[in-house]
Amino acid sequence: MSTATVGTSPGPSVGIGQIAVSGAAEIVISALGLGSCIGVVLFDPQARVAGMAHVMLPQSNPNSSGPPGKFADSAVPALLHDMLKAGAEKARLVAKIAGGAQMFGAGSGGLLNIGERNDQAVRAALSAVGLRVRAADTGGSAGRTVQVTVGTGVVTVRVVGGEPVEL
Amino acid sequence: MVLGAEQMDALREIGNIGAGNAATALSQLMGQPVQMGIPTVKFLPVEEIAAEFGDQDTIVAAMFLGVTGDAPGHMLFVMSEESAHNVVDTLLGATGSYTPGEFGEMELSALQEVGNIMTGSYLGALAQITGLRLEPTPPAVGVDLAGALVGAALVEIAMVSDTALLLESTFADDNTPSAGDFLYVPTNEGLALVLDRLGLGE
Repeated sequence: MSTATVGTSPGPSVGIGQIAVSGAAEIVISALGLGSCIGVVLFDPQARVAGMAHVMLPQSNPNSSGPPGKFADSAVPALLHDMLKAGAEKARLVAKIAGGAQMFGAGSGGLLNIGERNDQAVRAALSAVGLRVRAADTGGSAGRTVQVTVGTGVVTVRVVGGEPVEL
Repeated sequence: MVLGAEQMDALREIGNIGAGNAATALSQLMGQPVQMGIPTVKFLPVEEIAAEFGDQDTIVAAMFLGVTGDAPGHMLFVMSEESAHNVVDTLLGATGSYTPGEFGEMELSALQEVGNIMTGSYLGALAQITGLRLEPTPPAVGVDLAGALVGAALVEIAMVSDTALLLESTFADDNTPSAGDFLYVPTNEGLALVLDRLGLGE
């Protein structure tokens, strides 16, 4: 999903592997219930364009299929591309990330700690395109709902039973 | 993998029998009737599976495990928060060391046991029909946002394949019309073997 300038708030909910970008001030872009997945938010404070990718896995490989937003290494360039297309400038971009938890703590010996690997892969992918992470809320064992308000670039993170906290 | 109508029907029937067994087990555990919906069979890209579980921002209890043996795969059982409370109340209510409304270690291990029993019954039925050896791994359990738990489980499935076959069954009890959602996701190799044993292989 890539929405340039549309609609009314609350705006798009970004599902797994999806990317949403908007330049409409009243829009709030959300990723609901990020577990081991990572929400990558980019914001240009001057152009007032914001975007989010909902990353599921660290790396694509030649045999893998799916939308570019699914993998950290393809999601970041795709999100950046959509941001620039919507009028953002790379030098002004602020990057914030949230998610990467280990959801099934007890008894999940067989589960790879994919949250941590996603975190590292997203940071590496941002660094590869010359972007630095300004703020992050990653790791732990709780799911997160992440929102960015396009007009202000304010990013909030909420966990179960908690209030939204600005990132 | 492309499945024909006959193969889809057979898988739906397997889902019916497996989930029927699991519903009976859950009903015995709960001491009340548990109804089962008609199973659905779908092929989906892994990243689209989460949407099958409704609102990503609601709290659920999820039990996730691997299936090992001849036809490996994964199983995911997602319960509404209310049903999870009901189950925990029923199982732990008389023990005295239990705080209603909270999911501590005791409550999570009770849910883990529910996951054990349900998946054991489901796989037992499947093993009996196909003659395949199918063993569940101990379930991992969590209570959190649906999107977070389902998403984390999907990652495990995504490691194996980009698209997955879902055998989905829903459960209802007297208090909650959508009490739970049970998902069996065999690997493509596991699926081929199951179909082969049913006489519907390629």
